[in-house]
Amino acid sequence: MSVRVQRFPSAPPSAALAARVVAIVLALLVAGIILAGTGASPLKLAGQVIKATFGSSFGLEDVGLLVTPLILTGLSVAVAQRIGAWNIGGEGQFYAGAFAATGVALFIPGPSIVMLPLMFVAGAIGGALWILIPTLARAYADVNELITTLLLNFVATLLVYWVATGPWLDPGGQALATTARLPHDIPEFWGIVHWGFPLAVVITILVAAVLAFTRWGYEVRIAGSNPQAAKYAGMPFRRHLILVMLLSGAIAGIAGMFEVAGTVHRLQGGISNNFGYLGIMVAVLARGSALGVLAGAALMGIILNSGIILQTQGLNVSTVLAITGLILFFTAIGDELAHYRIIRTEPAKA
Amino acid sequence: MIDLRNLSRRGFLNMGAAAGTSLLLPGGLIRPARAAEPLAAVAEENAVIAFGHTGPVTDEGWTWSHDQGMKAVQEAFPKLKTLFVESIPYSADATRTYRQFVSEGANMVFATSNYGDFLYDVAKRSPEVAFYECDGRNPLENLSTYYLSHWYPTYVTGVAAGLMSKTGKLGYVASFPVPSVFSGTNAFLMGARSVNPNATIQVVVINSWFDPQAATQAGTALLDNGCDLLFGIMDEAGYLQVAEQRGAKAVMWNTDIRRYGPKAYVSSIVIDFKKYYVEQVRLRLEGKWTPSQTLLAMGAGVDRDAWGETVPEEARKQADAIREKILGGWSPFTGEIKDSKGNVKVAAGQTMTEEELYNWDWSIEGVVGL
Repeated sequence: MSVRVQRFPSAPPSAALAARVVAIVLALLVAGIILAGTGASPLKLAGQVIKATFGSSFGLEDVGLLVTPLILTGLSVAVAQRIGAWNIGGEGQFYAGAFAATGVALFIPGPSIVMLPLMFVAGAIGGALWILIPTLARAYADVNELITTLLLNFVATLLVYWVATGPWLDPGGQALATTARLPHDIPEFWGIVHWGFPLAVVITILVAAVLAFTRWGYEVRIAGSNPQAAKYAGMPFRRHLILVMLLSGAIAGIAGMFEVAGTVHRLQGGISNNFGYLGIMVAVLARGSALGVLAGAALMGIILNSGIILQTQGLNVSTVLAITGLILFFTAIGDELAHYRIIRTEPAKA
Repeated sequence: MIDLRNLSRRGFLNMGAAAGTSLLLPGGLIRPARAAEPLAAVAEENAVIAFGHTGPVTDEGWTWSHDQGMKAVQEAFPKLKTLFVESIPYSADATRTYRQFVSEGANMVFATSNYGDFLYDVAKRSPEVAFYECDGRNPLENLSTYYLSHWYPTYVTGVAAGLMSKTGKLGYVASFPVPSVFSGTNAFLMGARSVNPNATIQVVVINSWFDPQAATQAGTALLDNGCDLLFGIMDEAGYLQVAEQRGAKAVMWNTDIRRYGPKAYVSSIVIDFKKYYVEQVRLRLEGKWTPSQTLLAMGAGVDRDAWGETVPEEARKQADAIREKILGGWSPFTGEIKDSKGNVKVAAGQTMTEEELYNWDWSIEGVVGL
């Protein structure tokens, strides 16, 4: 009898979950050892983080506010993955959505009850338009969307910097130039958490349901796992691809609208806070599952919020980033290892 | 120290209306709408004082100077607890950080840069905490603003720059098009033009307060463009090193950093918040804290640094004579002043008020790129 290790294409859920837990515990252990080495008390810090995050509505509200854009940028990546496309441009679509929503809010007069839905639509269209060229290039010329979506991030970032420091500048004078305050705020839902949070959850559930239970969702999944087979079966692959990618961009654009109308209230450079890129992490943590995005975003939100708590405890921002990186690094390794199983084989009898 | 309460009223009318909290009394006195009940006294051993910084405390510039202020507070009140966070982005993360300070029991929160709404969102929900916004413009019932009248020492160094520049083309490495940058470029150029009427200043905006690489590139581009003397508003020494390598000159901000470019160093707009911070903390501990708006004056928180080794005697003398004149009450910011489009913005004989200088948001004639 011999023993060998074999990689399976899919990991059993129990192994995946176990790998996750082990990875996070290991990452925290390593971080703890490093912190202890620098003279800090890891247990005391951990206690502080848990108390500050879960011990008061204060901490939970902060997490809720962080999670809202992460759910949507994560969902945006996960949706595109369903048809085998990598949307790395969530950051740019986020900016485009925030930009479009701000334009509507600043230049069209109207009551909030009308304007907020209009800004929502503008955000979605802004995000979808930002991914339109990469989508068409991929669908008709087979140009790799990974590169095109990524490169457009820089264009969107600079576009927003330009309008916020130029034509739309509010001369009021904050350290970072911004537009004027938007006249419409998304109302608060719980503490400082605005209605974008429950809406993001609803959007995620809706998208997950459409992908799981409709014929369209079924065809998209088939097209994602095997485009050749989908085409052979007569499914309109190109049409599905275009729709899914535009949907992916629209979702990231909505995240931008929520952030500018619910949290920041002014368009400014850096408004995305890297949520577009972090969405890729969320989707990876969610293993591409639309509903898994909720859990992935929650974990990411807690990690980011812990980072802020640790900084007020005197930890350097670089240390905090390193700990965040460690957790994601260990998780990625754990996810991969979950695919492997030890196989015992009987030697073939002659 | 100049108390803004004694300054003239225009502009503050708008501020009060915008913030909805201030009431303008005859003679331009600003008072909180609710006849300010001072915040309750705090025992030194229970007090928590928090500082939120825009850059790293090791920047040897802006943030380092504020950190020195915190250390002075610790020395004056050794029993109180201090917290600080570095490099807070101008994003919703700032709100989270300031909220975290409050949830850790901070009695005073100093934001050493103008975080605007990100800070007000927290201040409005925490009326028992005294907030501070450096370079802020929206006083609240529990938020004081404080800054420096840096335009005076800037004008003084501008005079020296005008005398030292051979081409008359000055360069400026800017962060964002915000009032500090407008007042900085304008005051510097006005100083230079007082001795060389043909001087101009070219501005490059790098969208950051702390980005040594971008500042270095901007400095190089300005020198390539024919400028021979650089100024800027960076929290570090990037463009001074460029000037040193290229045989140009540079005026800096925040601290004496001449060792990064001893030949290029002209002077620096040096800042000192120690006395202000200690005084404000004392007020809070003693139960006498009410919101205030303060501009630290030249010679009392902001000044020019000792002149660099290559500054000619004549330039020192002339610039220092102007400095003495300003300390004696003279203002160089007197009309006629035209904006960069040629419109007369300040009529002949009219002097800009302290808060017009503070809120300066247009460029004078001769400024390019802002």
